[in-house]
Amino acid sequence: MIFLMTQRAIGKPVLFLLPYGRMQFIVGVLALCLLAVGCSSAPRSAVNPNLTLQEDQDQLLRLAEEEQKILDESGLLYRDQALEEYLNEIVRRLQAAEISAKTPIQVIVVEDPYLNAFALPNGVIYVHTGILARMDNEAQLAILLAHEMTHCTRRHALRVYQRLKNKPAFLAAVRDTLNQWGKLGALASLLGSTGLTPGFTQDLENEADRVGLELASAAGYDSCEALKLFAHLKEELETENLKEPFLFGTHPKLAKRLKYYQAFCENHFQEDADKITNTEVFLAKIHPLILDNAWLDLKRGRFRSAQRGAERYLAIQADDGRAYYLLGEVFRQRGKDNDLQKAKIYYQQAISRDPAYAEPYRAMGLIYYKEGQKRLARPFFESCLSLAPNISDKAYIEGYLRKCTPHEGG
Amino acid sequence: MKKLICVLIPFIITACASRINGGGGLYESSTHHFAVDIPAGWVQLNTDKYLMLSKEDPFLQYVLIQARPIDKPFKHTRKKLKPRMLPQEAAEIILDEISSDRNVVNFALVENIPVSLDGYDAFKVIFTYSTENSLNLKTIYYGLLSQERFYNIRYTAVEKYYFKRDIEAFEAILNSFKLHDAPAG
Repeated sequence: MIFLMTQRAIGKPVLFLLPYGRMQFIVGVLALCLLAVGCSSAPRSAVNPNLTLQEDQDQLLRLAEEEQKILDESGLLYRDQALEEYLNEIVRRLQAAEISAKTPIQVIVVEDPYLNAFALPNGVIYVHTGILARMDNEAQLAILLAHEMTHCTRRHALRVYQRLKNKPAFLAAVRDTLNQWGKLGALASLLGSTGLTPGFTQDLENEADRVGLELASAAGYDSCEALKLFAHLKEELETENLKEPFLFGTHPKLAKRLKYYQAFCENHFQEDADKITNTEVFLAKIHPLILDNAWLDLKRGRFRSAQRGAERYLAIQADDGRAYYLLGEVFRQRGKDNDLQKAKIYYQQAISRDPAYAEPYRAMGLIYYKEGQKRLARPFFESCLSLAPNISDKAYIEGYLRKCTPHEGG
Repeated sequence: MKKLICVLIPFIITACASRINGGGGLYESSTHHFAVDIPAGWVQLNTDKYLMLSKEDPFLQYVLIQARPIDKPFKHTRKKLKPRMLPQEAAEIILDEISSDRNVVNFALVENIPVSLDGYDAFKVIFTYSTENSLNLKTIYYGLLSQERFYNIRYTAVEKYYFKRDIEAFEAILNSFKLHDAPAG
């Protein structure tokens, strides 16, 4: 169900700023004690263990639509109409017309730098910016989408749901995840990775791998690109120092899946010799996202990923001052060894490519200011404010300028 | 009955680990080296990690004061606070931490400015966000770095009605904040 699963949640109200775990618990109890009034939201669709197949299907679709609504309104979606059209065009190419009519698929991009994708039972596939930014070509994208599509068209969620719905632990998990707080991909993760039936989900993953590869291959894509896609996933696990994530435990192990892909590739190598990768088209569509995703990486403090993203973007779109500025920010914020010197070089490159871009001036000023070279900092701060009089941190810069009097420092 | 047990057991466990008091007055933390005045009628919950105050229900409004070890990792960003950071740099990390949290929906920064807190350089950020139930919340967050700790005082409330109603009480708490620790200089 989940291509590479890491679990994160959205929609948890009010208490996000508090220390986690025990604090939320304490606060919940405190609230109860203070008011003796529950603060729970209205329960969403409850799970009824006595439903028939059709009713199960309807129930599942309702749950999926509720989850989709939460995601749609979360502000976490990456809005790029041209990109979405491109993704959905690939889906149409992968999907036979008769299946398409029964299970319409829609692809939506989520702003998240982690490498992941997931499908809801109603045919909506969510793809993270992180995994899109890491892919090399359209063939890899097609393989990912075909994998997720297979979960939808083969009704994997329904199969898991039917099997699990009478289990008390599952019912409790559904109530926990859906009746209280919304979670990004909660339904997908619950059905695909609940861990209540080890091996069953793994079978579905294997089926999604196999059918997905066949679909991609039949649509003319080079299925051997799956190996590179998996190499990216493996690298992510290694560089991020992730163990097999909790929910990944029920997936076939990455190494095992890689072997399967290798075998498939060997068997189809001759057939795939002239197949499509569409690298240039893919990169043309995806390159703004690569830079946007690199900023998300930086925000998370994933400095190496952010640097890689910025450099990759520059390889496609050289001479963009924003990418040089981002590289400067990576080094300034990391602040190790010679990082500040590197940051200065990147900021200067950003300024030379776009002299009207205010942010690199501010960043240069900040470095000099912290180094105590206020005489050098001053013109950069002044240029910044001159170029962007209403810049968001104007108050800070004005404060620095007041301390950068001509007789001080440097 | 089961529900009652579910509520009572954690309450008993919780009560053993922290203290919930109903009275106002001066609060002094010897371990975290700060003091504040708590308005009358506000309930306080103090643990070894933070002091939390609420007038009636923390789901409607709360003030949280925390002295966080400066090297303690954040949950949503790997960036780290450092003792010699400028308030602007600390604010940047806090905003990254908050806006990277998937529980924060429709995050919007309203203000980010330098301020003085108990005479020391600090930052103030104001932001809004919403819950999945479309409840809009607003937070004012002050942050101050000392050599070893990151002090933060924040006020979060439901934007409609409660935020405005209780902001004066928050400002009184804020103005009474006294730090007994050496700031980062």
